[in-house]
Amino acid sequence: MDGYNCVFNPLFRSKENRLTMGLPNASGDLSTEVEVDAFRRLFPLRFYEKHLLESIRPDARPLGRARETTIALGAVASANGSALAKIGSTTMLAAIKMEVMTPSLETPDEGCIAIDFHMPPICSPIVRPGRPAEAAPVVAKQLSDTILSSGMINLKELSLVSGKAAWMAYLDIYCLDADGALFDTALLSAVAAFSHLEIPVVSLNDDGKIVLSEEQGLSDREPVNKERRKINLSSIPFSLTCVLHKNYILADPTAEEESIMDTIVTVVLDSSSQLVSLHKPGGTVLAYTSAIQDCIALTRQRVKELQKILEEAISGMEVD
Amino acid sequence: MEVHREDGRSQNQLRPLACSRNILHRAHGSASWSQGDTKVLAAVYGPKAGTKKNENPEKACIEVIWKPKTGQIGDFLTSLLIVLAFEVWYAGNFQNILHWCLGKPEKEYEMILKRTLESICILTVNPNTTTSIIVQVVNDDGALLPSAINAACMALVDAGIPMKHLAVAICCCVAKTGYVILDPTKLEEQKTKAFAYLVFPNSVHSVLPEGSLRVEGEPIENGIITSVTHGIMPVDDYFYCLEPGRAASVKLSDFLRRNLQQQSTDSSKAG
Amino acid sequence: MAAKPGSAPVTYSPNLGQKTRPPIFKDNDLDWVRPDGRGFHQCRPAFFRTGAVNSASGSAYAELGSTKVIVSVFGPRESKKAMMYSDTGRLNCNVSYTTFATPVRGQGSDHKEFSSMLHKALEGAIMLETFPKTTVDVFALVLESGGSDLPVVISCASLALADAGIMMYDLVAAVSVSCLGKNLVIDPVLEEESYQDGSLMLTCMPSRYEVTQLTFTGEWSTPEINEAMQLCLDACNKLGKVMRTCLKEAASASQE
Repeated sequence: MDGYNCVFNPLFRSKENRLTMGLPNASGDLSTEVEVDAFRRLFPLRFYEKHLLESIRPDARPLGRARETTIALGAVASANGSALAKIGSTTMLAAIKMEVMTPSLETPDEGCIAIDFHMPPICSPIVRPGRPAEAAPVVAKQLSDTILSSGMINLKELSLVSGKAAWMAYLDIYCLDADGALFDTALLSAVAAFSHLEIPVVSLNDDGKIVLSEEQGLSDREPVNKERRKINLSSIPFSLTCVLHKNYILADPTAEEESIMDTIVTVVLDSSSQLVSLHKPGGTVLAYTSAIQDCIALTRQRVKELQKILEEAISGMEVD
Repeated sequence: MEVHREDGRSQNQLRPLACSRNILHRAHGSASWSQGDTKVLAAVYGPKAGTKKNENPEKACIEVIWKPKTGQIGDFLTSLLIVLAFEVWYAGNFQNILHWCLGKPEKEYEMILKRTLESICILTVNPNTTTSIIVQVVNDDGALLPSAINAACMALVDAGIPMKHLAVAICCCVAKTGYVILDPTKLEEQKTKAFAYLVFPNSVHSVLPEGSLRVEGEPIENGIITSVTHGIMPVDDYFYCLEPGRAASVKLSDFLRRNLQQQSTDSSKAG
Repeated sequence: MAAKPGSAPVTYSPNLGQKTRPPIFKDNDLDWVRPDGRGFHQCRPAFFRTGAVNSASGSAYAELGSTKVIVSVFGPRESKKAMMYSDTGRLNCNVSYTTFATPVRGQGSDHKEFSSMLHKALEGAIMLETFPKTTVDVFALVLESGGSDLPVVISCASLALADAGIMMYDLVAAVSVSCLGKNLVIDPVLEEESYQDGSLMLTCMPSRYEVTQLTFTGEWSTPEINEAMQLCLDACNKLGKVMRTCLKEAASASQE
């Protein structure tokens, strides 16, 4: 080990030191902080296994606990609904812009939701401009599958004039900081953005176009959507990602944990505890029934936590 | 409970399986796999020297390229291009947008296939190499991803890539009344409220006494390699799916074993 | 507006009517108040915070009115393979907008013009010779566009560079002035920018009293230019102080 210290020392980021400092004698045989850091970089798996033996993680969390989670509603004023969700340092900004479209012939009374997930180069050292991150289209597909199949939003509520006009909700989610559990944070921000969404009052003008009622001075005209200012969210989906390693289950992994231990299970449950998605793409660890049950149980707990955090964020808005 | 299915199958009955290997001459390994009218072709090239950027050079890298059925991509393109033509001009970044609209639906399947195959291959045997698997959809009539996994797995065997075990993939549908049907057609997939793609290791024939290969009281082939679900179902229904899914995976792995034995004896005769 | 016939749903925003409004004020109309009630020579209150993105080497978030910007700095790190050997470091800048940043939904694409302007504004302030052969990447994302986007991006980027520990001669502060009729308004909002007859952006290193970039658009008379530049320099000075305090606070917080 000593031989490596001098060579690798300048490479280490000082930020990560903070995490190891508070640990009670995590790896007793290594005396100084730099050596712990070197050990972490050189033998990441052994470093983690030493922690797992003590049922603790390098950031001082027990295995089943998720990171601190916050939601801030209304982060972007130029959108009709927006939210910033943060799990640990993973940060997502979701915003919804409502536009008008002509509904298709098959579904004249339904609006539409277009979901996209972006990983701009600011979020991670891996993403470079012009080259989209590999994970982005995968998360985008997962998100739109989850949100559309969960039935959280009744597309009929997005209708304005049957057969003529309906809302197209453009939901764009930007990853501002990527540190693991991207899908969980993105879904949370999306759900929060929908709960913050306020649909503008619009009316039909002489050209048959939908325009904002106040803007056009058409207040004499009957607005087409007087009552429907908020979308009813039924059975909101919440998710928890776990990493499986040997017999350990680590909830809400950081980017480092995801890269070292490659078996990732994402469970999505809705508020009535129905399974919306159970996603396990490969990985070296096989998931037996008991592990799946444990993951689902952890998710149930997490759903309660997230529901509470979301409710608090919403009631916080109403007080303001 | 008896279920009526369009094609007259019982609820746990799979469609007729067919698999042939070594069908392409230039590829290092290839296989075609069909389950009823769903047909997928897989070709393996490699191991080639070097890994992609950001991949661990101490392990072999697996790369999956998913080619959808050409007709679909054409329709998709023309409809999208009309709309995008203006926006493309506006953004002035044609390539990005093309990438965005083409790459999206397949990327998820590519990622799932890549991770599934990585978990069954022994990656440490050929460090710092890349093995490419090209999956061509010939016809999609339900259970597409499981068929692709089975095809890719057989193509890897054909190419002689070192593997821990095979992966057998199956699609279980949870129909509206709560019963499970296996290996659905496209129509059944659309009609049912939820379905799950499950991938298990193949069942093992071992000289070791029964039970020595058990993990946590369950045989090794009960472990889930990959699980992808679609649609809402009660949590219990998911566990109901596992039972017939595992039973079917035993049938499938018997089929794979027979197929591999058969063709290896054929080729030894020919050689 | 993306209203074109096509098979897939084509959408339009219901609030497109604004464009037909008359200009907000005419020549000599000095009684007019700005949309946000500021004086003509008054900047919006600036909020800066460093360390917004943990996975970056350095980062900063800036908020001036409704203009919200986040900048990450990566590196110094290995240059692209195709790059020739260079004994000074390279600076690589990229500015992009979110799709929801503008009042009408955009494409969320890279802003090439701003990217090169940001590069030119920062280049002079960074000691490139301190990281030979390597590249420092400065990536900016405009979360919400509320006017004066580029100056905010530039100021925010210099804070992010400082947060990343990249050696600089001084912080870079940037302010723009819009010319509306005969009036000069500093730090214009989006609405004012859309009616402006000309604009001036000045980026400078306040402590050294050196200008790194100066751009004009539109028609200006010499006295107007003098006045506008003096306005910008004064504002940059004040902005520089705010940025400095932000850095000091971050430094003292990390020491504790």
